[in-house]
Amino acid sequence: MIRSRIYYFLWGMIGLFLLLLPKVLSMIHIHLATEILIFALFALSFNLVFGYSGLLPFGHGALFGVGAYVAVLIFKHFPGMPLLLTVLITALSGGLVAAFIGLFCVRLKAAYFALITLAFQMFLFAIALKWRSLTYGEDGMSITRPDLNLFGFGNISMHSVQNVYYLTLVIVTIGILICYLFLKTPLGNSVISVKEKDIRASFLGYNVFLTKLAVYSFSGIFASVAGGLYSFFQEFVNTAYIDLNMSMSAVFMTVIGGSGHFMGPVLGAAFYIIFQDWISSMTQHWWIWLGLVFVLIVYFEGGGLINLFNRERIDRFLSRLRK
Amino acid sequence: MEKILYVENLSKDFSGLSVLSEITMEIYQGELHAVIGPNGAGKSTLFNLITGMFKPSRGTIRFLDNDITGWPAHKIARLGISRSFQLINIFPNMTVYENIRNAIVSKYNLRFNWISILDRHKEIARESSRMLELISLEDVRDKLVSELSYGRQRQVELALTAALNPVLIMLDEPTAGLSVSLTRNTIELIKKITKGKTLVMVEHDMDVVFNLADRITVLNDGRILATGSPDEIRQNKDVKNAYLGRK
Amino acid sequence: MHLPIEIYLVQMMHGLVYGMLIFLVASGLTLVLGMLDILNITHAAFYMLGAYFAYSITLQLGNFWLGLLIAPIFVGIIGVLIERIFLRKTYKGGHLSQLLITFGLLFIFGELVRIIWGTVPLDVSVPKLLEGSIPFGGMTYPIYRLFILCFSVLIFIGITLVLSFSRIGIIIRAAVSDAEMVNALGINIPLVFLGVFGGGAFLAGVAGVISVPFISVHSNTGLEVLLDCFVVIVIGGFGSLLGAFIASLMIGLLQSFGILWIPKLAIVFPFLLMVLVLILRPTGLFGVKE
Repeated sequence: MIRSRIYYFLWGMIGLFLLLLPKVLSMIHIHLATEILIFALFALSFNLVFGYSGLLPFGHGALFGVGAYVAVLIFKHFPGMPLLLTVLITALSGGLVAAFIGLFCVRLKAAYFALITLAFQMFLFAIALKWRSLTYGEDGMSITRPDLNLFGFGNISMHSVQNVYYLTLVIVTIGILICYLFLKTPLGNSVISVKEKDIRASFLGYNVFLTKLAVYSFSGIFASVAGGLYSFFQEFVNTAYIDLNMSMSAVFMTVIGGSGHFMGPVLGAAFYIIFQDWISSMTQHWWIWLGLVFVLIVYFEGGGLINLFNRERIDRFLSRLRK
Repeated sequence: MEKILYVENLSKDFSGLSVLSEITMEIYQGELHAVIGPNGAGKSTLFNLITGMFKPSRGTIRFLDNDITGWPAHKIARLGISRSFQLINIFPNMTVYENIRNAIVSKYNLRFNWISILDRHKEIARESSRMLELISLEDVRDKLVSELSYGRQRQVELALTAALNPVLIMLDEPTAGLSVSLTRNTIELIKKITKGKTLVMVEHDMDVVFNLADRITVLNDGRILATGSPDEIRQNKDVKNAYLGRK
Repeated sequence: MHLPIEIYLVQMMHGLVYGMLIFLVASGLTLVLGMLDILNITHAAFYMLGAYFAYSITLQLGNFWLGLLIAPIFVGIIGVLIERIFLRKTYKGGHLSQLLITFGLLFIFGELVRIIWGTVPLDVSVPKLLEGSIPFGGMTYPIYRLFILCFSVLIFIGITLVLSFSRIGIIIRAAVSDAEMVNALGINIPLVFLGVFGGGAFLAGVAGVISVPFISVHSNTGLEVLLDCFVVIVIGGFGSLLGAFIASLMIGLLQSFGILWIPKLAIVFPFLLMVLVLILRPTGLFGVKE
């Protein structure tokens, strides 16, 4: 099976590149890479709901923002807390908020699910904006990154972006792996089956509501971890971390990258961050160009950038190589 | 004989229109019970009410000493009633194997299991393969069901219904649209999978009905016209007038 | 805390006015939803575009009334174009594509507005004819707002009359209930859809125009209006014009009284009401579909 060997080789190269990245690239690029990793996790969590469960949450930014705020609030008010425990609490908070929102929304038809999750996100945005005593509203809160305590192995300072990058790489890789394995469990299979034909699934004994609630809550865990990582990375959080643009970015990244494939959103996140970096150096209206790319991809039913890498093209490419 | 399903005064209205009225019937363990009637008589609606697709407007349904009136479909399925659909209702973008496996996963109550890898589960794999062989679908095991012929898709539909190992199987026009030979095969298959179980079947093919059924219920205009053995039904005047008249 | 009754009256008037404006926008949305089963998210942009077009026209031509006349026509045309170009394609694609495209378009319109007109809220003064206030139950109330109220009510009555008694109205109402049947009767359904679409956009544009002098309109207005409209059609029921009317007034009153009682949480009330309706009566108060 030459094909699978090539895939392993490719993944190996990508892994190596990611590990050596800070040594070969400049500071700016390390920043970008860290952002790409974080948003890849965010987009992936979005696609668990959209691509694999058939629900379109326009309000996913809420879960990202919850993670961002919870992390900063812990750093601020519980400075001694071990970093890894903070990650866990952030994850849990996202899962719980998602479970709560899901209780109301998951039963609804596509359009209503989309807009009511959006309404929930705007609601949380309003709380973040108005509850100044807790969140400092638009001004936001700054923190300094605490050290990573590797119980027994000493402390790793998180002052350098390089270290933040590596921590992010580890956490995001673990997150992506967990999501990937999730889809291979019976519960993951239930999620996909329910999306395929919910009527048939329910007559086979599948509880459609609980299944959708489960995947939505699960997705909330990783969205909030991404949010927490982001506010940790930026050493800052404010209402922009839980606003409409954050919700839209998940939609854009996933659709542009491709929702039909597991790694599609990751590609979309890379595109999003690089595109933003590139276009915003030329014009401050880069958002509209992104929106245009998005609309065009939906309009032409392109299926996203990941389709540039689909099996047929790779096979054609390989067969041309062999000749 | 033990009564496993008891329907009492079951009625269903849709937007003011009465689709089913005062349906009372009993299904006994192990019997093959056919439900017949002209189009629009309410046969599918009866199925939909019993299996939990709709809530009845009035009346009760009891199954194995449980009052299942108003229960959701998935709960009823887990209790032991399994149904097939008139319009094929299978998972289109999954293989035959994956389709059957979905039923097996439910049977083994692993639907919410998030700590094992499905592909590695030996028991599930064995059961799914066994089911495939039983329904003679081994040869198309890894084909997408959307690529199968209509007849084979019907087989998958049947397989899904049986794979849950239910107490009561309800088949809604299982031979609809099938050729004579395929119908014969399907009947053999149905006999195979319903061994030791109870079967309620909606059918239009009178040969099938009168050859197979232990008892027949005739529906007309949302009401029960008659219930009885095939001979009794054949000689029933009302039934003849309403339904079999022309033949 | 007891406030003089005049304040309650004034707030009630505010609520009614705002409710009517929302109704003008939501009516188009709910009719299209009922007929085509599409939730046209881009619709919210029509309100915003109406306001901005009127602003520019008023600036160029110096006359607000010309703006009121011309702007909605532009908006209506844009509505028709969007239906033709973008939505036609997505009828087959399914609901998810529609949602994505219409949301993307709303977003793009918001950005376009930001690029062309900037982020500062529009500043248009009340037309001279309607300046000033009249005494009203002990306080004074701006004439312009009364004008909006009367104008909107007139439009509402007009729509109701057309839908109830004219041939086209009956066709539209039938199409909301059962589009296939109407099509089978030989009536040009695509044309009817186009008309309702364009008409709805036109109305939303009108609402945008008349609201500019007293409500702050800015590039994020599209989204705010979207959420309000959505709450209205959830509460009122999909496809129901009467439901939209009552729900709009409810939302308007809820918001203005909410500001009196608990100002910080006022924006939450419509949202909470919507969640309540979703739990208790998912098809809305006057839902047409089962």
